[in-house]
Amino acid sequence: MIYEGDFLRDAISNLLAAGYRVFAPVKVGDFHIFREISSANEADFNYILPRNSAKVALFPQNEVLIEYGEWIEKIPIDKKKIAVVGIRACDAKAIKLLDKHFLEGFVDPYYKARREELLTIAIACDNASINCFCQSFGINPRKPEADVVVSNIDGKVFVSANSEAGKAFVREFKLRGESEEESMIRERFENEKIEMRKIDVDVEKLKKSFDSPYWKEVATNCKSCGLCTYLCPTCFCFDIYDEGERRGVRIRAWDSCQFPLHTLESSSHNPRSEKWQRLRNRFYDKFYYTLRKGDYYCVGCGRCIDYCPAGIDIVNVISGVR
Amino acid sequence: MNELEKIKEALRSSSAEKIVAFVRKENEPREVLAILSPNEIDRISFSPLSFNNPAKLLMQLNGKVAVVAKGCDAMAIKQLIKEGKLKRENLFIVGISCKGVADYRKLSKLVKLNEVTSVELEGDELVIKLKNGEKRVAFAEVVDENCVYCEHPTPVIYDVLIGEPREGKRDFSDVEEFEKLSREERWDYWISQFERCIRCHACRSVCPLCYCEECMVDPSNLAISPMSTAEDKASYPRLLGKTVNAKDNAIYHILRVLHHAGRCAGCGECERACPMELPLRKLERKLEKVVVETFGYDLNEDIPFLSKLDIVGD
Repeated sequence: MIYEGDFLRDAISNLLAAGYRVFAPVKVGDFHIFREISSANEADFNYILPRNSAKVALFPQNEVLIEYGEWIEKIPIDKKKIAVVGIRACDAKAIKLLDKHFLEGFVDPYYKARREELLTIAIACDNASINCFCQSFGINPRKPEADVVVSNIDGKVFVSANSEAGKAFVREFKLRGESEEESMIRERFENEKIEMRKIDVDVEKLKKSFDSPYWKEVATNCKSCGLCTYLCPTCFCFDIYDEGERRGVRIRAWDSCQFPLHTLESSSHNPRSEKWQRLRNRFYDKFYYTLRKGDYYCVGCGRCIDYCPAGIDIVNVISGVR
Repeated sequence: MNELEKIKEALRSSSAEKIVAFVRKENEPREVLAILSPNEIDRISFSPLSFNNPAKLLMQLNGKVAVVAKGCDAMAIKQLIKEGKLKRENLFIVGISCKGVADYRKLSKLVKLNEVTSVELEGDELVIKLKNGEKRVAFAEVVDENCVYCEHPTPVIYDVLIGEPREGKRDFSDVEEFEKLSREERWDYWISQFERCIRCHACRSVCPLCYCEECMVDPSNLAISPMSTAEDKASYPRLLGKTVNAKDNAIYHILRVLHHAGRCAGCGECERACPMELPLRKLERKLEKVVVETFGYDLNEDIPFLSKLDIVGD
């Protein structure tokens, strides 16, 4: 269907009016950050990818799990409806991967409460940044898997709703049907590949290369910071700690497998005390360990490549395993 | 012989077993740091996109090491020698008289990086060779702002110097300009910057002077042993939690910078590493100015700042 006007901005206005918490890309300087907004004017959609991902809406960097005094006083599960607007196909796929982690098997009630009320509105890509490689994972960047998808093609705004929630949401908008020619244009758009990098994942080789000196070599220049994991739309590790002695809060905060304290055991033993072990863990976690959840935990957004201060490149590292 | 050939020749003349130098990253025009053996000298590359600081890598290595160092890199190495983290006699420093490095983010806005085949400086122009053709821009347009205020473009310590020595100057005009703002304006400015921080600690991790095995922001674990009780462990000091908000982030950044008083080499790695583009050098430069003006210390002195304070203090 086709919308005459600025669909994303109008959608945000509707969502805010309906009491949603809305997360959208905001322009800061000359780049974009996903954050909660309070008016449609704050959002800006002129980007390939924001620096951070929509993960911040579902899995916030800090979250109070329990407020305590002498005993648990409050379990603040936020049931407010949430919308993420302007995500790309990679980040949309990442939400599905976070779902597997937080909702299958042990169900995380905090995540679940947010997820049940989540509406995703995605924008189709029409080009790639230099380190995009989502197509390697079967993701179609021109056809994100989200409740509502907006594609800007030839100056027209195509809107499609792919779920019940999405259909209910777009019903409030004056959308007109596509002409036969317009449908053809949209389909052609959706089926055309975008030129981008490719990653060559060989799980069998990974299995055999765990003890390879390759990992030390790859890690030479790694600085052991948490940048790659914090920008990653699928990384889900967290730490829980208490703040306050007699009264206080139990907080869940992002943690990174790249920090040495992440695996420090209370016996003082650290199974991943060396940075190359931590770096190796990240790659195995993306492409091997998480296969038990049924998928690679990489969506090819390329953020970890773009911003790694040491120039470590997941495409080259994985394609070059030996 | 061009700059790169001179670097390679200098490295071949050294007896070092390991070489810390720049190699070209795949798929992008920038260089990244690598630890090489002498038979890999041909892999070395050097350009205005060799912006990383090799000093931190040196601390990973034992034995004789050769290193390619720009002005700020050499200054970082000098600080580490002063602090006993590196031994001068173990280093063979190929110093580069540096004309400044290009700002990768500025460059990425001018050209698509994966179409760049090479980048070199020709007079005042940066020549960007592309797969199809070339682009020339005034270097002043893409130079890393940090380099504009560089006081020591010529390495303060080297074994071989590549290029003619260049004069730098001490210039705090940018800091002075910022100081004109009112206290409230400066606070608002910093809070609006710090609220973006995601505390990935990339700034700390890339900083050659941030070499503490345990950082003040991590919960203390040095004293943990198998004998430590749970209560002991739970009550170890924790200066800062993992809560990420403008004020906690401000504490992290201000404390981190304070630990660099009279030490920061000014390489700008913190700012380059920051995925949220926090203006971290502004904090460091303010501190530099205080160290210079209030304490009369020059970074290039052979004695560490804090030791000097002990000597001259009452």
